[in-house]
Amino acid sequence: MNSSILNQSHCPEVVVPNPVFFTIGAVSFAENFLVVVAVIRNRNLHLPMYCFICSLAAFHAIASLTKTLENLMIVFADVGHLNKKGSSETTLDDAIDSLLCMSFLGSFFSILAIAVDRYITIFHALRYHNIMTMQRTGAILGIIWTVCGGLGVLMILFFDFKLIMICFVILFFISLVIICSLYVYMFMLARIHARKIAALPVGGRNNHHQQRWGSNMRGAQTVTILFGTLVVCWSPFFFHLVIIMVCPMNPYCECYRSLFQLHVALLTSHALFDPAIYAFRIAELRHTLRKMLLCSDWKLCS
Amino acid sequence: MTACNILQSSRRHLVPLLFNLLLVIIVVFVAAGVFVGADCCLDWIVAKEYFCVPVQVEMSDFHNRSQTSARRSDYVWQYEYYDDEEPVSFEGLKAHRYSIVIGFWVGLAVFVIFMFFVLTLLTKTGAPHQDNPDSAEKRHRPGSCLVDIDGHQDENDKAFSRPLLAGSRSYFNFYINEEDKGHGKQKVEEKRAGKHTGARAEQGTFNRNRGVSSSGMDEMEEDIEEAGVHQQLTGLIEQSKTDRECTFLSHFNIPNFVNLDHSSTLGEDDLLYEPSVILERQSKCHDAHFDIH
Repeated sequence: MNSSILNQSHCPEVVVPNPVFFTIGAVSFAENFLVVVAVIRNRNLHLPMYCFICSLAAFHAIASLTKTLENLMIVFADVGHLNKKGSSETTLDDAIDSLLCMSFLGSFFSILAIAVDRYITIFHALRYHNIMTMQRTGAILGIIWTVCGGLGVLMILFFDFKLIMICFVILFFISLVIICSLYVYMFMLARIHARKIAALPVGGRNNHHQQRWGSNMRGAQTVTILFGTLVVCWSPFFFHLVIIMVCPMNPYCECYRSLFQLHVALLTSHALFDPAIYAFRIAELRHTLRKMLLCSDWKLCS
Repeated sequence: MTACNILQSSRRHLVPLLFNLLLVIIVVFVAAGVFVGADCCLDWIVAKEYFCVPVQVEMSDFHNRSQTSARRSDYVWQYEYYDDEEPVSFEGLKAHRYSIVIGFWVGLAVFVIFMFFVLTLLTKTGAPHQDNPDSAEKRHRPGSCLVDIDGHQDENDKAFSRPLLAGSRSYFNFYINEEDKGHGKQKVEEKRAGKHTGARAEQGTFNRNRGVSSSGMDEMEEDIEEAGVHQQLTGLIEQSKTDRECTFLSHFNIPNFVNLDHSSTLGEDDLLYEPSVILERQSKCHDAHFDIH
């Protein structure tokens, strides 16, 4: 009796087809793995800024790999080769979930580290090489990897406690606020000093204004893309967690929760966009990738 | 209160602000822990029940396996969000069932667009006099694509070529003056770079030295630390040429932030026009840097 009413108006779960997950996973793994290899191979890129980008790419590579593995497991379980309730399968599933959690957290912390590094570069430009030495960078990265690994394991072990999710959501929100404010500060400072420089007595004043406007427009674009991608990819998933905690029985919330796979797909597609936003902007890295990919046999490149 | 004053005062307050934020986080965690610890007495935390749905269906499987396990655990905790026994009733919905979804995405889009407009408004306040056709062109162009690879971008749209020229001229002149003592390589390279437009050459030099950067970054560096850098540059006169060059280059090793797409196009242009001279020098410098460290 109830089921007929439910069938009429309940929100069916939106299923993202497996090929989509596999494609996203494969492409993002390839991209991020190439970035990691390029940064490791090129000695010019052994600098703090590039190390953080490499760490971000490494986390994304692990995330896409584990998500693909998980989807493979789900496919096998649906077909019947795997027992969904078996102990080894659930252990493997837990391990994969904790790896996923670790890599998501790690990518988020790496983005935060990149923002802080850029902030220090701009606001403490001269002392940057004293503040951000390679040893400190290594220590920071070690801390990030350890903390994320530990948090990943903890979150999956104690997932049924609401505290974990509350911490997760609050951490996400505060990190988002910090990243946004750091980038807006940097943008404002860049704008102010662009204005100061353009105020110098040089010929072609009208051109100055247009070019300054053009450059600041691009700055606004860059910050918006950077922050916008982060927010658009991550917030649906976190809103999902908030909805689970706040209104599990509400039908409206139920309809939001039915889009869970879509939100996870968005989260994994963040690994697809990040190299284009961070790594591929660096000319040196693009040069290295070009050399790696195209110059195995050709004499075209030096 | 100008934006500059706001920035300076806020920078002073940033560190204590961050500490306060950290304290707030710790307090929230502790409060949440206490809250969850006492949640057994609170009625509205239905989520725990929602999580830990006793799945009676498991019983039949367990009977097949072993009696002891069935006796040990009558209920199996499962993390299933979409149970077959759907407890949510969809009767009497006033609004559309996807209203939360629509509201969330509309809010997100509004937030991102609002942020973009706030940032562009900030830029507009700094550019009062513009020629109308050119500004209209510029207005359309940023929206269309990120990477501008127009050919005629070179002359008009090198946003950081002119300010770069203006702002860094003092540095460059200083550097050249020091080089007049007899090191001809810098001049040779300058001449080589000077094959193309002066702006392009200078931007090429400076741009290659830092991975990618923007006029904002250069100008900001000069402005903030002008006195200090000038002194530092003075102190570098006694060093060897490579050392001085490397330190000079390393000052401009700024991350790609503003003008990323701009510099990326220029990076490609530089690859066309300025082969690997600067890259080699930078790699030599980095090697030297590493040897020194």
